[in-house]
Formats: sequence, C-alpha cells, structure tokens
Amino acid sequence: MSHDALIRQAQGGDKQAFASLLELHYEHIFVFSYQWCGNRQDAEDITQLVCVKLAKSIMQFSFKSKFSTWLYRLVINCGKDYLRSQKKHQQPLHHSSLMVELGEQSSEQNAVPQQLYIRQVLNSLEELEEGFKEVVLLVYAQGLSHKEAADVLGIKEGTVSWRLHEVRKELKDKFTTMRFDDSGGIGGSK
Amino acid sequence: MNDKEIEQILESLANQEKPTVNSQSKMLAMHAALNEFSMLHEDKAVEESLQNKKRQGFLDSLRHMGKAVITLITDVIHIVITMIRRIFMAIPTSKKVYGALAGVVGVTFCAAIVFHLSPLMKPEKTQIIESDMQVYVPKVQPIAEEEMISKTGVASKSDAAVSQTTEDKISSDANFGGSLIDEATTAKPRETIELQQTPVLQDGDAVSQSDLMRSKEVVATSNSTSVQAKGQQTSEQQFVVQEKARGMDLSVTSSMISRAEPQMKKAERKRKVIIPQSSTNQDAIYPPITPLVDRDEFPTSEQNGIKQVSLEPVSTFSIDVDTSSYSVVRSRINSGFLPPKDAVRVEEMINYFDYQYALPSSREIPFKPSITVLPSPWNKGKKLIHIGVKGFDTDPEQQPDSNLVFLLDVSGSMNQPDKLPLVKQSVGLLLDKLKPTDTVSIVVYAGAAGVVLEPTKVKDRTKIITALSRLRAGGSTAGSAGLELAYKLAELNYDKSAVNRVILATDGDFNVGRTGNRDLQSFIEHKRNQGVFLSVLGFGRGNYQDDMMQILAQNGNGVAAYIDSLSEAKKVLVDEATSMLFPIAKDVKIQLEFNPEKVSEYRLIGYETRALNREDFNNDKVDAGDIGAGHTVTAIYEITPVEAGVDSVDKLRYAEPKKVPSNLNNQEYGYLKIRYKLPNESKSKLIETAVTEKLTEPKWDDHSEANFSIAVAGFAQLLKGGKHLNNYSYNDVINAAQKYKGDDIFGYRNEFIQLVRMAKIANP
Repeated sequence: MSHDALIRQAQGGDKQAFASLLELHYEHIFVFSYQWCGNRQDAEDITQLVCVKLAKSIMQFSFKSKFSTWLYRLVINCGKDYLRSQKKHQQPLHHSSLMVELGEQSSEQNAVPQQLYIRQVLNSLEELEEGFKEVVLLVYAQGLSHKEAADVLGIKEGTVSWRLHEVRKELKDKFTTMRFDDSGGIGGSK
Repeated sequence: MNDKEIEQILESLANQEKPTVNSQSKMLAMHAALNEFSMLHEDKAVEESLQNKKRQGFLDSLRHMGKAVITLITDVIHIVITMIRRIFMAIPTSKKVYGALAGVVGVTFCAAIVFHLSPLMKPEKTQIIESDMQVYVPKVQPIAEEEMISKTGVASKSDAAVSQTTEDKISSDANFGGSLIDEATTAKPRETIELQQTPVLQDGDAVSQSDLMRSKEVVATSNSTSVQAKGQQTSEQQFVVQEKARGMDLSVTSSMISRAEPQMKKAERKRKVIIPQSSTNQDAIYPPITPLVDRDEFPTSEQNGIKQVSLEPVSTFSIDVDTSSYSVVRSRINSGFLPPKDAVRVEEMINYFDYQYALPSSREIPFKPSITVLPSPWNKGKKLIHIGVKGFDTDPEQQPDSNLVFLLDVSGSMNQPDKLPLVKQSVGLLLDKLKPTDTVSIVVYAGAAGVVLEPTKVKDRTKIITALSRLRAGGSTAGSAGLELAYKLAELNYDKSAVNRVILATDGDFNVGRTGNRDLQSFIEHKRNQGVFLSVLGFGRGNYQDDMMQILAQNGNGVAAYIDSLSEAKKVLVDEATSMLFPIAKDVKIQLEFNPEKVSEYRLIGYETRALNREDFNNDKVDAGDIGAGHTVTAIYEITPVEAGVDSVDKLRYAEPKKVPSNLNNQEYGYLKIRYKLPNESKSKLIETAVTEKLTEPKWDDHSEANFSIAVAGFAQLLKGGKHLNNYSYNDVINAAQKYKGDDIFGYRNEFIQLVRMAKIANP
C-alpha cells in the first residue's frame, strides 16, 4: 500500500491505517522533537502531543505538499506550544542532558569535543530570536534543502538562507570569544 | 574560528547520535493518538447511525401503519361479509332493521379496537449498531502496565465495570482497559472520570444490578463485542464487552437512548466508573498490600561498639523521640518477616513506649532525668546505666494555639487501604485533640500541588471533613512543590504565640522537584529557623523512604512516626498528640563523662544515627532532637565496672591508668549533662547530675519501667543481630517483658510481647 493510500485510508477513518502511519513516523517525530528540545522527557511529551494532534488534523492534509513537510510543520508548532506552556513555570531549556546522555553512549574518543560544540550551538540557538532554531535544525540536523525548509516554515527561500547566514555569524562571534580548549579540536573530529 | 569550521560544526548536527525510542512512551503516545482518532471518527459514526436510525424509524413506522391499515380493512371486510350472510340467513323482516343496526355498531366497535391496538403490534424499531471498530492492542510490558496502573489507581487494577451514562456515545475504547489510562494521561483529558467505590447505579443508566451481573456471564472471546438489543420503548441497547485478553474482567455496560442528541457537548459528558462490591471481587478492588518489589529504604547504621573509657571518656548524643522504627518493625514482623537490620533503631524501639519516670515540676526546667544502675541481663558482671527523661506535660487547659498545615501525599501509590484512607482517619483523629480556635489547612500533592482546604478553624469541622473525604489518589509525586506550598500556607497564617507546624503524610519519597536530601534539608532548616516546624507521618510500605523521613523530621524540629494501623494513628495522634505538637524543649543533647576509676568500658545502646561530637555539646548552633510535652526519652549505657574484671577489650600494656582527684566522689560512675533550649529561646540551658552507685543492686521490682525498657532494648538488639548479647534470647525478652509490663493501660506492652513471639517464628 502506498503512503498516500495509507493517508487516505486514515482520513477515511481507518484506525489500522492510522496506527501504521504513526508507527511509520513515530521515530522520526521523536528524533526531531529531541533535537528541538534537547531532553528525553520533553521530547516524549512533544511527540505525544504531535501524535494526538495528528489524529485530529490528518483530515486537513490535502496532499498539496509532501506529507513529511506537513509533519515537520506540525512538530514545530507542537514544540512551540509545548515550550510556551512550559516556560511559564520552568527554566529555559538547556541542552546538556541530551549531550550527557549521548556523550555516554558515544564510543568514539573524538566525538566528545564535537558534542561539546553541538551543545554550545544548540544552547545558543535557544537564545536566538524566534524562527532561527527551526531553520538550523531543519537544514542541518534534518538535512532539508533551503527550499524544503522554506516550505515547512511557510517563508521564502531567501529568508532561510539569510537566517542561516545570521546564525553562522552569531556562532562565529560566540566561539571566537569563548575560546575553547583546543585539545580535541574540531578538525580532529572530521 | 573561520567560516569553514562553523559550517563543520553545523553540519555535525546531522551526525548526532540519534536517541533511541522508548517503547513505553511510544506505546502511550500511540494510544493517546489512536484514542483521539477513534473518538473523532466514532463521533461521526454515531451521528450517521443516528440519522440513519431516524430515517429507518420513519420508514418503519410508515410500513407498520400500512400493515395495520391492511389488516384493519381485511378484518372489516371479513366481519361485514359475516354479518351480511347472517342477516340474509335469518330473514324475518321485522328484525332486519335492528340486525342491520347492531351489525353496523359491531363493525364500528371492532374497527375502533383494531385501530387502537395496531401501534402495539408494531415490531421493535431497534437497530443494532454493528461494532466493527478496529482494536489496537499493543503488547504491553508488565512494567509499563504497573506504571500505568499506578497512574490511574483503582480504575484499571480493579475488576471494574464501567458504565457510561446515557449521553455517552458508544466507544470502542471499551475494548481496551487501558483506554481509561490514556485519557488520564493525555495532555487534555476530555471527560471527567469519577471513581465510585459504592455500587450505586444512576437512575439514568437504566441498568439494573441484575443486568450488571448477567453481563458477566456473557463470555466473549478476546476483543470481541457481543451486542444485545433489548426491545423496550426506549430502544435501550446494551453493549457487553468482556475483556479477557489481559487477565482482567472488564465489563462495560453502555446504554444508549436513541433520543440522545448527537451534538451533546463533549465537555458535558460524564463517565462513571463503578466498582461492583460483590464479595468475590472484594480482593480485586484493592491490590495486595505487599508489593512485588520492595523499595523501602533505610539508612545504614552500624551498632555502637564498645568504647574504652581510658581512650574516650565522653559520650555525646542527641535525643531522639521518634518511634517510627518500632512501627516499621512491627508491620514487618506481622507480615511474617524479620525487618532489615537497618530498619531497627534501638532507641526508637525503646522510646515507643511511655514510661512512668519521675515528672519534672515546672515548665522552666521542663524535664528531669531519672538514673538507675542495674545489672546487665545479657552480660554477667556488666551493668546498665539507665537514663530516663520525662518531659513536662502541659495542662490540657493551657494547650497552646496551633496553626497546622497538613501536607498529604495523594499520588497514585497512596491508593491502598493502609495509606490514604488511613491518612484521612488519622487527620480526623487529630482534629479531636485540637482546640476549636486552632487553624487547620490541607495541601495535597500528586502530579502538582494544590490547596484543598484554606486555613479553617477547627470548630468548622464539617468543612474539614468534607475536604478530606473528597481526596482521591492518583498521579505522580511532586513532593517539594507541595512542601513549598504548605510552608507558604503556614506562613500566611503564622502566629508567633502558636505552634506553627506542617504535618506531612506520605508513603515515600519526593520524586519530582527538589529531590536532593541536602537541598530539602536546608530548605526545611531555613523554615524551622523562621518558626515553622515539620512533622512526618509515614504510611504504607513498598516505597517507604525511611532516611528521607528522618531527615525531614529531624531538621524540621518534628517527630517522624510511622503509621501502619488505625490504632497506631490513635497512639501517635490522640494519646501522644500533645507530645507531637507542642515542643517543650528543643536541641536536647546528652553528654555522659565516665569515671575511669569505676568504669573501664562503655557502650551506648542505640542512638547510632544521633551521635554528636564532644565539642558539639556546648555549641548552640548544632541542631539536636526535640522533646514534646509528656515525651519520655530513654538512653541505656552498658558499662563494665573496673572491679568486675570482665573487660571485653584487653588493657593497654604501656598506658598508665589516670588518677581521679580524690576530692571527687569515687563512688560516681560518671557525670551526666543535659543541654536544652526552651522552644522560643536560642541559648541553651544545662542540667547536670552525678551518676552514682547509691542505687546498687536494687530489687528488680522497684524498677519495672526501666526493666521493661531494657527488655525492649534487648529485643531491638536481637533484631540487629545480637552482637553484644551473648546468649540472651527472645524468650528472655518475653519473660522480662511479662514480668515488668506493669498496668499497661493501652495494651502496647502486651502487643510487644506478641510481637516478640511472632519474631521467634518469622522468616529472616
């Protein structure tokens, strides 16, 4: 059964089809949520929100865009909603837990300094204005093209490129001032 | 750092290791979504079916009307023919007219009857809704199940019959017991779920008890739905679903009246979970008290060793009036097992009992030590120095005002008969001991903390009891949020002259928020210094965090008690309420210096967790135990008199024994000092007295109180392994306790003897 057919069946109220659809995309949603918020707990909550939202809004998917594009948009919206609701009574996100968890799993020696940089990147993304984080995550972490990312976010391709440029500039300032210990070195990791 | 490196860092985002999906959360999320999905689609399905039914019903009635008319016409024709035939057969002309008249009347009459009866002859308009819903039953791991159960409490564990009220739509989630769980755990619960322990059926349900029982007889295979249609005027339908797939009977009775409006708002829907109270199901309602995994935690404690007076002549410790250890030990032994050694704290076992020591005379010197020297029952030649302290007992008339905040744990784990129900009863008991003008508030915590009772005067008793009775258990444990809220409330209502106290009732740890023991400790210390104290009541077992309770109570200037039964609740909260609530002295420290000429060795029995440094004794900054009105505290030292020559430790070859100045009475075993602070003071006072031998070898009967406490000490040490007890046995404990139990008005001492007997046969 093709993917589109599966969606159509789910839209028609076929529970089994919807279940397979969830099964198919769960991990993807979860991983993206994880990248979005940086810790397991929040990521699982967001993923659950997305799944429930999907049940409600699968009817609204009109095959005008790719399903994955549509799904990204859903995750980003849920993620924003979630963070907004959490922000009221919590500290802003900190991506350390993700890295601690991953750092422990990591077997490669040189992966650690690299993870350190990533943590810095992710944390500084939290400080940026709205809209930058998702662009970086979509393009770099998810490997979307600028065009695709633009579709997901409903913005112009040029805006995506511009935002990435801004992020690079920001990071460059940040890392230059922070002066990392170069023992591992970023060059070694690549 | 150049652009290329930045680009590399960014690109490395894609190479991050991917987090692994947790299958449990995946399952939960999928459930929530599928539930939502089916609800949405069934809303539609129900709507359609209702419309169908309306149409169908209209057609049906037309058809039936037609049938009735045809029958009527046939009947009329038949009768008319018969009449005509009769009339023509009996031809006499004079009666022709009457006959014809009677015939016409008869025909009209018959027609009327037939017309009236015709609606009754219509067959039922009921339509059976086919249940073709797809059921998604994932493989639930046992752990996941246990977790979910703890979240929802009784609903899924018990043999529950779920009856949906008439407005409720027929939902496929009845197929899976876990659906209730999903609704409870999804971000936005769509329906209120009420748990009812009584089998009261709502009138609107139109489901009788017998229906409910009969439904159990319908055996359906896993996940199949058997649908019964009942012909009644209301077109009531009963859906009987029996769920056997997961080893639990979940019968769902759903009644639906065709008049139900499909546009009924979701928010107004109400679902009632009714637990039938049939005797066979009694056990299933409450899960077994003994959990599979025992996660109770006790601080490790080694027994005090034998110390040599020549090396360490001074012993310093803080008093401990807690009794929780005894209750923990009792509940363990009564369930047939010896308690873990770390759970036994000898001093708490001893202090569980109230001893009739000499009473102090005034509030200014709030207690008086009674010292007795007795031969050691377990070591020949050794002696016991028994120090009994009885606190000043306040006059009930002079009971100070109280501002109490009850902080009750209502997390899912409290949903056991020996937990939340007992908490409610306990609080009720304590109310009796308070003055009508005292203030009580209640804060609960589970997933979140909330105030369920604003500060209320005790005289407004019904309000308090109502608030209590509404409590239900469920959710996770945000203990620290609750603690903060409780303190806030206590401070809000702070009264300098009153006793301001938070009373925490819980079955375990604070697993969300300010969880570090140290963090909590400093928080509570801070509040204590501001004048709000904390007492802890422990309940249940399975997740009991003894060390946490100790830390909380010790730092909050309060008592930690473990309540395993209503009678224990009565003891702690009624008989000893004044002791628990009203401190008469705080930071009570005891220091005993031994006379090296008389004593060569000593061993402090118990108080392992309360040891203080020698220099802490005079330091008023160092926190120590508190003593409440009427409390008794007992400390027992085992000493080796020099002249007895039964030293456990060999003498040093090269050390000279110290000479004691001859002006001191060499009849003294040692010198006792007690430091304490009055509750509202920060400078300590001192009581001192010499421990002399003038009471040598008293008759045992004269010191039954002391001797009883020694028997308890013996028992406690036996439970800890009996390292220093030689051949002393449970039987010796029983004999001594029997002999010295005294009047034993409340029966606690007899209970103790029973406990020792149980311990004899308990499994290690």
